[in-house]
Amino acid sequence: MKILLLVMLLFYSFASSSGDTTIHTNNWAVLVCTSRFWFNYRHMANTLSLYRTVKRLGIPDERIILMLADDMACNARNEYPAQVFNNENHKLNLYGDNVEVDYRGYEVTVENFLRVLTGRHENAVPRSKRLLSDEGSHILLYMTGHGGDEFLKFQDAEELQSHDLADAVKQMKEKRRFKELMIMVDTCQAATLFNQLQSPGVLAIGSSLKGENSYSHHLDSDIGVSVVDRFTYYTLAFFERLNIYDNASLNSLFRSYDPRLLMSTAYYRTDLYEPHLEEVPVTNFFGSVMETIHTDSAYKAFSSRISNSKINSEDDHKEDFQNANIPNDDVKTEKQKCPYTQMRADLHEKLKKLENTDTMVNLGIAVMILVVMVSSSLL
Amino acid sequence: MCKPDQYHSLYKHHFLSPELRDLLRNARSAVIQVSDRLRRFSLDPIMARLVLSLITLLILQSVWVTIAFESKHVEEFSEELLLKPLPDRKVLAHFHFENRAPPSNSHGRHHHLFPKAISQLVQKFRVKEMELSFTQGRWNHEHWGGFDPLSSMNAKPVGVELWAEFDVPQSQVDTSWKNLTHALSGLFCASINFLESSTSYAAPTWGFGVNSDKLRYGSLPREAVCTENLTPWLKLLPCRDRDGISALMNRPSVYRGFYHSQRLHLSTVESGEEGLGSGIMLEQTLTVVLQPDSISGEANIQPSWSLSSLFGRNIVGRCVLAKSSNVYLQLEGLPSHELKNVDPETEADKFWKNAEFELSLKPDRILREINSFLYMFDIDKSSDREPFDLGLTWKLPSKWSCQQAPLHSTRFLMGSGNERGAIAILLKATESQEKLSGEDLTNGRCTIKANIFQIFPWYVKVYYHTLQIFVDQQQKPGSEVLKKINVSPSTDKVSSGMMEMMLELPCEVKSAAISIEYDKGFLHIDEYPPDANQGFDIPSALISFPNHHASLDFKEELSKSPLLSKFKEKSLVRSYTEVLLVPLTTPDFSMPYNVITITCTVFALYFGSLLNVLRRRIGEEERYLKSQAGKRTGKLKQLLSRLKAKIRGRPIEEAPSSSTESQTEVQSSVFSSKLLFKIILVAGAAAAWQYFSTDK
Repeated sequence: MKILLLVMLLFYSFASSSGDTTIHTNNWAVLVCTSRFWFNYRHMANTLSLYRTVKRLGIPDERIILMLADDMACNARNEYPAQVFNNENHKLNLYGDNVEVDYRGYEVTVENFLRVLTGRHENAVPRSKRLLSDEGSHILLYMTGHGGDEFLKFQDAEELQSHDLADAVKQMKEKRRFKELMIMVDTCQAATLFNQLQSPGVLAIGSSLKGENSYSHHLDSDIGVSVVDRFTYYTLAFFERLNIYDNASLNSLFRSYDPRLLMSTAYYRTDLYEPHLEEVPVTNFFGSVMETIHTDSAYKAFSSRISNSKINSEDDHKEDFQNANIPNDDVKTEKQKCPYTQMRADLHEKLKKLENTDTMVNLGIAVMILVVMVSSSLL
Repeated sequence: MCKPDQYHSLYKHHFLSPELRDLLRNARSAVIQVSDRLRRFSLDPIMARLVLSLITLLILQSVWVTIAFESKHVEEFSEELLLKPLPDRKVLAHFHFENRAPPSNSHGRHHHLFPKAISQLVQKFRVKEMELSFTQGRWNHEHWGGFDPLSSMNAKPVGVELWAEFDVPQSQVDTSWKNLTHALSGLFCASINFLESSTSYAAPTWGFGVNSDKLRYGSLPREAVCTENLTPWLKLLPCRDRDGISALMNRPSVYRGFYHSQRLHLSTVESGEEGLGSGIMLEQTLTVVLQPDSISGEANIQPSWSLSSLFGRNIVGRCVLAKSSNVYLQLEGLPSHELKNVDPETEADKFWKNAEFELSLKPDRILREINSFLYMFDIDKSSDREPFDLGLTWKLPSKWSCQQAPLHSTRFLMGSGNERGAIAILLKATESQEKLSGEDLTNGRCTIKANIFQIFPWYVKVYYHTLQIFVDQQQKPGSEVLKKINVSPSTDKVSSGMMEMMLELPCEVKSAAISIEYDKGFLHIDEYPPDANQGFDIPSALISFPNHHASLDFKEELSKSPLLSKFKEKSLVRSYTEVLLVPLTTPDFSMPYNVITITCTVFALYFGSLLNVLRRRIGEEERYLKSQAGKRTGKLKQLLSRLKAKIRGRPIEEAPSSSTESQTEVQSSVFSSKLLFKIILVAGAAAAWQYFSTDK
């Protein structure tokens, strides 16, 4: 009986930890450039462009893990020392005065990458090199480099396979290191890298389908190499129009990719991701916009489900107001929304009412035996 | 993300310390007590007031004295910049920032100016002294000087160099070192943590210049140095790069230079007082060698420059938190010859505006040294409207040379092939050798002492018995030249090798060469870096001259300038050699895969066919099959054969399509005996289960 109780308790603890009940606490970004050598300049420019974008949209430096496999900015071949450009007009220096690279050069390995994701570091590793996310974190994982069918090359020496990535994500989920994870990959055959993913709460976007290449956008004749990849270029084109308060949805980002311009088909995998993409703002992953919860009382342990509304729309504000005035109302409406939570709540209540749990368990066992008898006689 | 977690308040708040507050409170109560007593004695009220005021005055004075005493224990920050035209048409800029934290008794104390990240580092790892440098480019000893404090302290080996001395028991030094490298790598956005492995650092005993058994030294020659290293370094300054001299550091112009070395040196200063901890002195320097854009057409004339043309920025005011912020311009060699006779009182203008050159600003002070002039500028007066933009315009061609170290050192590789080679260090006499006064007269002989300190990675297996020393192209036995030698051989994949030796060469030596042979080791496939074909680095060797010390000797009395007092101290003359690139045998990294697949295929083919040839008896097999066919006359077979016959018979009547034929064939194969057996088994199991369950 005790075992049964334990099993039930365990079930409940897992259920309560599942994504929908935790509040979005913070945003993290892991940006990885896996390519070494000068001719892969564009991969570093890709990563730095994303770095600039997420910083501009509000993720602070201490919550960004930037991995760059080579030094392009102060490379002897770089005509513009300490500067990296992602466009031949050279208007925007991506390597400004405030770039903080956490892993660079030989440190960018599959091992270190998996260590960052899963949080298995040596004791001596400083905090700045760790992904210190929690169960309410939204993480953006951006990777760029050379890849193929179910793998991504690191430094032209080793590979990250789709199984490795899926395992790491699974481990992260089990260790409650994220609430929602968005994986964005810009490589050839990027879609194949997501094949093995199984963990809930994961959203994946790849630049190309299986059998497709991912092409660079244009060549800068001053620098002598291509400076940006097509997929990243059009992603940035989308984000340059946005500021931190914009409410553009993920769906609008996905729709902005034109296969003719990309010369490949952008692929996104949403079957593991519950919310509707039309309702999720891009700043959920690419920025750090926290929801504000308005409470009249001085301090109250708040339920997370009250705060599902967006900040900007006026209607939602009104709703919030009403909710605040009638605190019990919103709980009821929420109950109607989801049958599962309602059922669970009812069960909780009944459990609380029950004084003699032992009799209940005994009854349960008797019922189970009956069921077994009936089924066997039917056979 | 590598951010030191510290915030500086821009304005210093002078809170009274608790002791001071107590003192004031006591004083007040004493005054009240005295006044009470006076009233009790019923003295003349005027007299009483007089006495009272006298007492208050006395107490106030004592408080004042304590405040003055406290100011000695206040954190101090100073910023300085030294500019120096170099003989080869380049300009050297040397930024110097010094930050002092006074000794204090508590651990979690508040810092006004001193970076918290550094003080935490010192406290946690018990660092006694530490130096970290990030360098790119090679110091040109011939043209940029080799015998002055600037070059001996700031000419650093390429990449990252770190050495630290700890104040922990001998057994804990290595763990402290390991943790320190990790902490620094997080702080400065570099892969300094690669120095944690015992194959990359060494413990020098005397060859490094600091004699301690708790010293660790390591260097990473291939570490890239860029903006991300400078930014956290600048964040340690109270004004960052927003104000003061550090505002000049425009990243593209700094990294466009021929040489840049960013250094951080920290040392703890024992207070000597009981109960007090130790103070920390943090010295941050950045040395850059830049090429000014020469506007003048004439080739002989040195290029004219200004701060704004060098850096693309100006100084628009001092860092308000700095105690002193000065800019110095050092002119060496020729200019001083003509100016030597000028009277500083009457013809002050001639110092900075003469036929040869002209400065754009009037110096606040001129300091004279044996070989050079130092113009001092205070940047206090500069503002947004009038930025401090020091410029130097040359009018006549001028030539001068820098002071050289007694011996100029180079290092190179000998031999060919991927198996073995030799390392040679060549010491060549410089022109200035005769003038130097550092010679040591032992046994009536004039000698120059030179220390060589060198770390070998384990894959360069040095044979110390092959050490050969040539003096003026003649081989000399070791006992004649070698005074002292300390060797710790490397262990494969465990520790690196280290060599310290002290040479004693005659003063009239023209050249001295040391050569030592080595074998190249083999690495495990996992140990190769991604770009293994580029080769492997042997870190720079350090050549120091223990009897030669460089210092600037000023004639005038110095003001309190940390930079100049640093230059006035005697510093050991040292120089680093080149980094060597050793090509090792590198495998074709896809080879293991190719080998495995090819060998497997070959083995499979060979053994398969061999087994067929040896073991297979075709005649017997056929006989066996026939006998089996004879035995198997089951109902199913008969049924199947009937079915087949029917199908074969039908084509004549209905002519069914080939697809139905294949379907039935498939069907027939599906209803094989095995499947039937399985179904029967499951059915039997179910019946048994039912039987037993109903029985209960």
